[in-house]
Amino acid sequence: MLDLVWLIPALPLAGATMNLFAGRRLGRRAGWVASAAIAAGFVVAVLVLLDMASLPGDERAHAVELFEWISAGSFAVDWTLRVDPLAITMALVVTGVGTLIHLYAVGYMEHDPRVGRFFAYFNLFASFMLMLVLADNYLVLFLGWEGVGLCSYLLIGFWYERPAASSAAKKAFITTRVGDAAMLLGLVLIWVHTGSLDFDTVLGGAGSLSNTVATTISLLLLAGAVGKSAQLPLHVWLPDAMEGPTPVSALIHAATMVTAGVYLVVRSHALFEASSVALPVVLVIGLVSALYAALASIGQFDIKRALAYSTMSQIGFMFFAAGMGFYSGAMLLLVCHAFYKALLFLTAGNVLHGLDDEADLRRMGGLRTDMPVSAVWFAIGALALAGIPPLAGFFAKDHIVGFAASSGREAVWVLASVGAFLSALYIARPLFLTFFGQRRNQTNSHEASRAMNAPLAVLAFLSVVGGLVLGLTAEGGRLELFLEPVLGVPEHGEAFIGEVALLTVSVALAFAAVGVGFWVWASGRVNWQAFPERQPELAGWLANAFYVNALYAWIVQHPGKGFGRSLTVVDDLVIDGAVNEVGTEVGRASRLAPRIQRGFVRSYALAFLLGAVALLLFLAVRL
Amino acid sequence: MRTPISYFVVVSAMLFAIGTIGVLVRKNALVIFMSVELQLNAVNLALVSFSRMHNNLNGQVLAFFSMVVAAAEVVVGLAIIVTVYRRRQSASVDDATVLRG
Repeated sequence: MLDLVWLIPALPLAGATMNLFAGRRLGRRAGWVASAAIAAGFVVAVLVLLDMASLPGDERAHAVELFEWISAGSFAVDWTLRVDPLAITMALVVTGVGTLIHLYAVGYMEHDPRVGRFFAYFNLFASFMLMLVLADNYLVLFLGWEGVGLCSYLLIGFWYERPAASSAAKKAFITTRVGDAAMLLGLVLIWVHTGSLDFDTVLGGAGSLSNTVATTISLLLLAGAVGKSAQLPLHVWLPDAMEGPTPVSALIHAATMVTAGVYLVVRSHALFEASSVALPVVLVIGLVSALYAALASIGQFDIKRALAYSTMSQIGFMFFAAGMGFYSGAMLLLVCHAFYKALLFLTAGNVLHGLDDEADLRRMGGLRTDMPVSAVWFAIGALALAGIPPLAGFFAKDHIVGFAASSGREAVWVLASVGAFLSALYIARPLFLTFFGQRRNQTNSHEASRAMNAPLAVLAFLSVVGGLVLGLTAEGGRLELFLEPVLGVPEHGEAFIGEVALLTVSVALAFAAVGVGFWVWASGRVNWQAFPERQPELAGWLANAFYVNALYAWIVQHPGKGFGRSLTVVDDLVIDGAVNEVGTEVGRASRLAPRIQRGFVRSYALAFLLGAVALLLFLAVRL
Repeated sequence: MRTPISYFVVVSAMLFAIGTIGVLVRKNALVIFMSVELQLNAVNLALVSFSRMHNNLNGQVLAFFSMVVAAAEVVVGLAIIVTVYRRRQSASVDDATVLRG
């Protein structure tokens, strides 16, 4: 069964091909084809998992060589897939959550005329994402990496008639390209210093690399991860990416693609550990991104943008965990986050559907009477994210914050706890603004169809029990034990406060944040709408995410435009001038040429004769 | 006694000159065509003569090639002349000046 792992990415690829060529003829059945393709991939992944579970822990890593890909001199890369606990965990998340989102999208995209193309891109994305997580060397991983970037571009700009969507697509593509260029350099360096791109060779030999080399490679890989996972400073594309259809936001920009950066760091942890500064950099980037995005999320009024910043913040937590060396904790949060964030996004999709694409939180409110089912889903997702026990997010976040307490630096634990508090606050906000409080919208809202709510029920169930199942056993987290052969046992220090105290603080913070959220945004006792007028400066900083976009515009865009304008002058005067001048001169000459073409054959013959005579004379003289 | 090669070459040169003058001075396409044939045959004669002089058969072989090509060319050329004549009721090359710049 392990040898059949190639089927996992191949099945969605087959679905994509089918929808690409026959999508128009399939019409609305395209969605079912796509869902069946990825669901089949999920089934194969489950079978692979069962097969793997029957093996002892240290024999679970398995490389399946499919064919030789590149062979040029000493540079050789094979098309090899890898099955190990880490890869299969990611593959299960991608196919499992992916299937549910595909099923949801069947209902969501029902009325779109280009539904076939949508599902072709959607399946293609799944295929590339699976290639990324199942790769056994950095080049196959990079191929998947670029492939998901392409699909992200195509899907953000799916409604390309809207200028905002097409420019958001370009922004996402170009911003991540900055990181990808660095990552490609990292791959080149890996090959130069280890002579291979295979995970086993590279990561096994990482310890013998010098500190400088390991640091350079890790930081270059990290740049790629930061771009893809929308962390500071390459995060600006993620909020804009919400222009895409909501299932896209759920699948690509919440559950799977943006977590690829975390996967890359976790997968390459041996490289990062070989360097003295790489992991602390990961930690700082993650923690700063988590706090920054949490604050920015509180300032957003577009429900999807608020969720986008929350995704960025959660991924910041994953980077933070990885930076502490707590890779299995990062993976636990990744999996749980995939459940509840997909649920939150898709429920937001329900709301947009029910309100005729109204996305502004200020014009929602009190929707729980009209959309009771969606309200329950959103509440489950939000409470799971907030870390209310015993929902999924509680275990994931508690493990990470608890690990921070034992990392030996109290400040890190304090900042992580602040981040956890802010997470609960920023997710309580859309919950209360959308479904509670007074109605601020008089349009007739309606509950989503049953076909759309069914996948959400599964996601809600996973958000409730996911943490219990994956994060809790007597000997430690079940997922953490499963991943141990790949990621090793994290080095625990001595926590400076007791376990019970930690738990109490963590739970109290979560409840406090939700309580504050209710008091501010749902009780009606606080006039939150007046906040922008009373504190225009603070509200502006939050709503514009600390003006990073404006800063980039000032640093990159304006000089770029000026440079472009100066190039236009050169283009107009020098290049166009030369081309036009050549054209004018040729035209003038060509008006002279016809005068010798009079049409009299005999004059041509005479010219011919004279020419021949001249040539003969020339030869005679020379000889 | 063998006839000196120069005789043949002189005849060939005279034939070629007559042909060339014919091409240049005559108006009738048919006559021009005949003059061209004259030039071709002058060249054939020169080829055969020099071939004989050098005891090398290549020139004679080339003469056969040029005859074959000339025959093929006559077919095409006459067909064109006949078509032009049918269309304009004249075979004068000075009337056919459509292809001028």
